Amino acid sequence: MARGVEITMEKIRIYGRKEFGGCVEAEALVSPKPLEGFANCSPEMGCTTERNHPLFKVSYAGKVLVYPSPRGSGGFMSYGVGPNKPAAFVHTETCPLAVACAMVAHIPSMTDFERDPLEVIETGDMVLVNADEGYIEITKK
Amino acid sequence: MVQLKDDEKRMLQGEDGFVPRICMEYLVELCEVAGAEKLVDLDGTGDFHTPMTSMSPFYEFSFEELEKIVNAGARFKIPTFANKAPFFMQPPVHGWEKCNVCAYRDKNCPQDDPAFHKEAMRDEWYELYRRMGMMTTHSCANYITSTYLPTMGQHCSWNESSAVPYCNANLGARSNIDGSFATCFLGKAAYYDMHITENRYATVMVKTERTITTDIEWDVFGFATGEDVGVHVPVLTGTGKPTTTQIMKLNSALNTGGAVRMYHIPGTTPEAPTIEFALNGKKPERETMIGEAELKKAYETLNYHTSDDVDLVYLGCPHLTIVDMMKIACKLEGKKCRVPLWIMTAPWLYDVAKNMGYLKTYEDAGAHLLTGTCLAAMGGVPENVKTLALDSAKQSYYITGRYPDDDYRLQVCYGTQDDCIDAALTGKWRGEWK
Repeated sequence: MARGVEITMEKIRIYGRKEFGGCVEAEALVSPKPLEGFANCSPEMGCTTERNHPLFKVSYAGKVLVYPSPRGSGGFMSYGVGPNKPAAFVHTETCPLAVACAMVAHIPSMTDFERDPLEVIETGDMVLVNADEGYIEITKK
Repeated sequence: MVQLKDDEKRMLQGEDGFVPRICMEYLVELCEVAGAEKLVDLDGTGDFHTPMTSMSPFYEFSFEELEKIVNAGARFKIPTFANKAPFFMQPPVHGWEKCNVCAYRDKNCPQDDPAFHKEAMRDEWYELYRRMGMMTTHSCANYITSTYLPTMGQHCSWNESSAVPYCNANLGARSNIDGSFATCFLGKAAYYDMHITENRYATVMVKTERTITTDIEWDVFGFATGEDVGVHVPVLTGTGKPTTTQIMKLNSALNTGGAVRMYHIPGTTPEAPTIEFALNGKKPERETMIGEAELKKAYETLNYHTSDDVDLVYLGCPHLTIVDMMKIACKLEGKKCRVPLWIMTAPWLYDVAKNMGYLKTYEDAGAHLLTGTCLAAMGGVPENVKTLALDSAKQSYYITGRYPDDDYRLQVCYGTQDDCIDAALTGKWRGEWK
């Protein structure tokens, strides 16, 4: 059976690739725009400080941070630093910035999904990130 | 599953000691996260953010452990350079005496305090690193002063987003943004992304309406292109032939708007003799136009201010080449700045600028030469600065991130080097998009 999208009672499962392992369920915070680190991320406050960003100063602490792709400098890893880091990362596209971030954070991180998670997940949905078994499961709010 | 060679397995088992083991553990984890199947032996150059012993807190080791291996004769396996000024305070290497910035706006951390500077430079680490062979360039643009560049096809491990495309696109060497103690010490990196030939071809064709020619056009074009192509490899068409300054602007702006580790300019960059070659003979997955509207929008994103009264002018992101320092000296000759003008370059060019007489020209004009860091890295601007003028898309887009508070939103005037020098001499911003 092709592994793709499985929809059961109110739950949507999407398979993808594990970057960093673990399994956690938390509320989603969705960034429709790529995220940028270094001076445009405040690990102390646990939010992006990028002007023009829809999530400007919106806390991602303890959330499943869902975003299309990383951009900017190696300081992208700021998203994985400190007590206010997210519970997990879910992102559509990847590059070495996200690799370094996952390694700093040591929290479940997934990418390369068989369907773009941004098409499905909205802020406030509950998302189970089962990186160990290679899927996310979304419960709509 | 990562396939390790015998020497790598030996290190992982700790047979070569604690530090090689922890470095190998780090690299194995990096392979797993990245989906890399093996490590590649590096034959090019490396750099990393110093003095950290790892990019990940889970694989750091102590000063004492470092000292132990250095005393036993440990050396970096590849020619290794230091990225910017020492973390985490990232003080200016030169010019700190007149740098009235409080690091990260912490009043206990004034960059112009001798005691603070001495501690922030963390000399004890660099004594050890130099014994291991590190060349302490302390620059985001090591390639302009290192005097030693990797050659076509060599595998490298650099760690600066604005420099990595110089390695990949401009030199034809191969690097991801993964320079670390581990990669430079072991001479090994995860084999993925830009190390692999297939990943280096363009998939997005970028077109323009105007021919990209001037420094600011390259900078704005880079930012707009980065925002458009994201993590993908573009082939850039409709541009002129970039100068070294313009390549530095393009590379830093591409990695502000996006995450572009590699690109092609047909007839200019070494892996793109033709458009077809850049695309590996395939059709692009997508074509995109960075036209007049896109350039204007990018310029307006970067030029972010309500007041034309400038408090500080900053040039040198990425660190300036000797040619740009010469140009700035010519423009300042016999003039006086009305507002502070800070000029930032690589530490190894400080004495060159001094010997060439540029430093005296700057000082006579009331301008100030610094090296090794930048405003965003230091954590901000001097306290009284409300409006900053600069000529770098990267610095413009990052520096305001240090000022998220409603009661103090830093404003940025963004324009050409000439606009910035004019602002330094008059105190007024008169730049506009043309």
